[in-house]
Amino acid sequence: MANRLRISWVALLLGLIAGLALGLVYAWVLAPVVEYNTLPYQLDPTARAQYLAAISLAYRADSDLGRAVERLIALRLPDPFQALADTACGMFQDGFQSAAERNAIEAMIVLYRSQGRSGCADQSGIFTLNQSTPTPLPTAIPSTPTLTPPATKTSTPAPGVTPPTAVPLHTPTTPPQQNEYTIVNIPTFCSTAAPGVIEVYVQLPGSGEVPGVEIRVSWDGGEDHFFTGLKPERGLGYADFQMEANRTYIVELPGRSPRSTPLTAGPCTAEDGQRSTISYRVIFRRL
Amino acid sequence: MTRLLLSLAIGLILGMALGLGIGYGLFPVEYINSPLTLLAESYRDDYTVMIASGYAVDRDLTGAVERLRALEVSNVPAYVQVVTERYISQGRNYADIVRLVALAEAMGRLTPLMESYRSAVSP
Repeated sequence: MANRLRISWVALLLGLIAGLALGLVYAWVLAPVVEYNTLPYQLDPTARAQYLAAISLAYRADSDLGRAVERLIALRLPDPFQALADTACGMFQDGFQSAAERNAIEAMIVLYRSQGRSGCADQSGIFTLNQSTPTPLPTAIPSTPTLTPPATKTSTPAPGVTPPTAVPLHTPTTPPQQNEYTIVNIPTFCSTAAPGVIEVYVQLPGSGEVPGVEIRVSWDGGEDHFFTGLKPERGLGYADFQMEANRTYIVELPGRSPRSTPLTAGPCTAEDGQRSTISYRVIFRRL
Repeated sequence: MTRLLLSLAIGLILGMALGLGIGYGLFPVEYINSPLTLLAESYRDDYTVMIASGYAVDRDLTGAVERLRALEVSNVPAYVQVVTERYISQGRNYADIVRLVALAEAMGRLTPLMESYRSAVSP
């Protein structure tokens, strides 16, 4: 009696495999999930080009590089600024037929050239980029006190020629430096594969990374700005910067973190005994 | 024989449940090469804001309509009106609203709700 109720494991396994196959065929082929809520990275090349043009047009209007980068990150392109250059080049080579297309190409050139990229569209010399003095609407907006940060507004009248009776409440206060991020750690490493690199990680308190955060690297006589998330294969909160040997750099999230200690691209010896340039890993964490 | 069939049926049911779970839950079909029309609403809205921002600079109404037509909305001006009013009612970014209102007005879709934002545009 007990024997009759026992399960045949071979038959069970065969059934399991057949059922699994049937289930997958049904879910993937016969009745796949209905497509909705498509994200920008899922767009086809034509739609992606339209989206890139829209991002560039918006950037030309508001000059908000951070917002443009956030939008570009949503496209999950390996190098979004080069993709902009390539797309503009493609549009240029296809022969732009309207003022709208010309405007789009010009806006794209303004955006990708701001990040040091180049393409056939800007090299053609056809497009006029001297109107890259954007922000027409913010200046058109009349006095909107809610939009302007009070700290900068109060600090400007102070150095003026106003008599000492002015602004008694504001003068005693020192400008509070409210940092949103802190530098957790700056470990160094020596590698011949990645010599003289500053790797920046911007993290959330628990786990998670923050894309689209602006980073400023400054050195004597220059500075560079770039954003996290543009190398998604390294993580959404990742960005890096190539140092020149023997030069000293300072890294910060402008207005949101303290400045790092000076990071010098000095010589080092890698694990395999070869000489290289020291690299840094700067880890910012949101407070 | 009954034992075999019973085991096969149990396996089949379990396997199908597993397959459906994987196929719909863990690894559902992910679409690529989608048109702008299928974009999630938040991104469609953002796309509209971007186009309105572009219009704020170049004042090319034909170009703005052409770009919004890619969303395959049946009536572009009505669509811009809806997005603008939604932005206003949700208290979204002020500058975005101002630009949307400017575009809606250019399309002849200025509504009383937009009036206060319109005054910010006109010098």
